[in-house]
Amino acid sequence: MSLTIDRIPPIRNTFALRRKRARSKRPTALGDTFSTLMLGLPALIAFALLWEIAPRAGWINALFFPPLSQVLSVLWEMIVSGHLANHIGISLQRASIGFSLAVVVAVPLGFLMGRYPFFEKSSDFLVQTLRNTSQFALLPVFILVLGIGEASKIAITFYAAVFFLLINTIVGVKSVDPLLVKAARSMGTSDWDLFKKVIFPSAIPSIVAGARLGVKTSLFSVIAAEMLAAQSGIGYLIQNSSLMLETDRMYAGILTLTIIGLVLNYLLVAGERRATHWHGTGESGPN
Amino acid sequence: MERIAVSALRKTFTLKPGQTVTVDGVTSDRIAVLDGVDLTIDSGEFITVVGPSGSGKSVLLDVIAGLTEATSGVARIDGIEVSKPQTRTAYVFQQYALFPWRTALQNVEYALEVRGVATAERRDKARHFLHLFGLKGFEDRFPSQLSGGMQQRVAIARALSTDPQVLLMDEPFAALDAQTRDILQSELLRIWEQIKTTVVFVTHSIDEAIYLADRVVVMTARPASIKEIVAIDLPRPRDLDIRNSAAFNAYRGRVWESLRDEVGKAQRDWALASSYAN
Ligand SMILES: Nc1ncnc2c1ncn2[C@@H]1O[C@H](COP(=O)(O)OP(=O)(O)OP(=O)(O)O)[C@@H](O)[C@H]1O
Ligand SMILES: [Mg+2]
Repeated sequence: MSLTIDRIPPIRNTFALRRKRARSKRPTALGDTFSTLMLGLPALIAFALLWEIAPRAGWINALFFPPLSQVLSVLWEMIVSGHLANHIGISLQRASIGFSLAVVVAVPLGFLMGRYPFFEKSSDFLVQTLRNTSQFALLPVFILVLGIGEASKIAITFYAAVFFLLINTIVGVKSVDPLLVKAARSMGTSDWDLFKKVIFPSAIPSIVAGARLGVKTSLFSVIAAEMLAAQSGIGYLIQNSSLMLETDRMYAGILTLTIIGLVLNYLLVAGERRATHWHGTGESGPN
Repeated sequence: MERIAVSALRKTFTLKPGQTVTVDGVTSDRIAVLDGVDLTIDSGEFITVVGPSGSGKSVLLDVIAGLTEATSGVARIDGIEVSKPQTRTAYVFQQYALFPWRTALQNVEYALEVRGVATAERRDKARHFLHLFGLKGFEDRFPSQLSGGMQQRVAIARALSTDPQVLLMDEPFAALDAQTRDILQSELLRIWEQIKTTVVFVTHSIDEAIYLADRVVVMTARPASIKEIVAIDLPRPRDLDIRNSAAFNAYRGRVWESLRDEVGKAQRDWALASSYAN
């Protein structure tokens, strides 16, 4: 069998080709982060220097803006004492419980709503109404109903994430290629296998994108809730330090939150890439 | 031995609310697609189907595949009426219909997987069929990393992996360039000659229809029935050069003759079809 004709690659713009190669050869997630870091470093250093010098030189009030070194040393103390880990652990725990509950509720519900028009039609109005009610506005309600304990904080993180997940699951399920469903049916796929092996994998990229948004809002919501009513967590740490005028501690808390946000975002983007690794990679086989 | 028997098959679609179609001054919300199709196909036969666009060729395959219910009449495979997809039937589509999140190997495994074949066994089998289509070394590629020709090879390998008695193919090579198409036609014939499964192959290319077939079925314009069946008496195994022979040329003229009027009718039909949106 001769495949020679078949395997001659088409003539392409070599420059474009080379550029594409260069881009796809680099381990993307890491490479992008690295170059972003290098490019962004000067501005970051300038910002840090300004933060350090401005309060020392008396340009701004050191009571409200303690120098960076002071903030970092407080941060270090909190790390060493285990204080910080404690607060981080509590915040993350609340956010992840609420988020997990949201996944458990939203994904199956999204499947039903995406697959069976009746479910969607009968719940669409309610979902749209609830979705457009801010979780922050509802916090007093959660506190009234669930008390100021863990339940109200978990409730707000749940509420923050559930709609992103629900909407994206519905969109994912609806966007399944009808031809794939037809092909699967022609191969004798059962209803259950159709869900598991065709509809679910097609919906994954959309669900994961929803999860990424959901995780972030979950975390930010729990911080807000902790600022209003809590005795622990990063939100509490920031708010309490501010009330006590321990501004170095407050900034240490804010800095921690920023770092958690950055790490989380990086992990989520990497997770999303993994989940959709089969998407067009730019590299094509011999024709 | 008779494998597929289609008799008095009719299919009428009811349009969506608000859509209507007007035929000979009569407005209706129903559209007749198949209008009494009779066809029997022997086991091991290679049948190609040509007909104007929109005449119902895909619908005919869907009925034989058990994916669409006939309005009246029946399709039987080995004497048994088809009412749902059969494990002994495989279907190949123009747009490959590969699962983009599965590798080539996993795609071929799919059909065996839903039949409950054990992992090791189905992996071996999938590999065997990929190799048969010259895809050694491409097992772990995702469809997005394969050319159209290779994707269709994977789809055909997937279809054949279950040892089907009936292989339905709906314009499988229509999206490919001319060279790839020639190569795949030859590959398909080479493999079919080994396994001798029954093939029903829809195409718009008269050359392709003649080159592959034992018999070419010509459909009328919609509502479709069978206009003519042309037996192709060319020796096998066939070489691509056979397309330059006088005998081939005669068949080409004959099939085209049969098709020409129908294509004309279909063109009037398209003007009408554009009066409703699908
Ligand atoms: N689900 C459906 N509802 C309504 N009409 C349909 C449906 N499926 C097919 N049709 C109509 O049936 C007719 C035949 O369709 P079919 O796809 O079988 O044609 P075809 O012969 O395969 O055409 P082509 O060669 O272009 O693929 C078309 O007019 C089409 O609009
Ligand atoms: Mg068709």
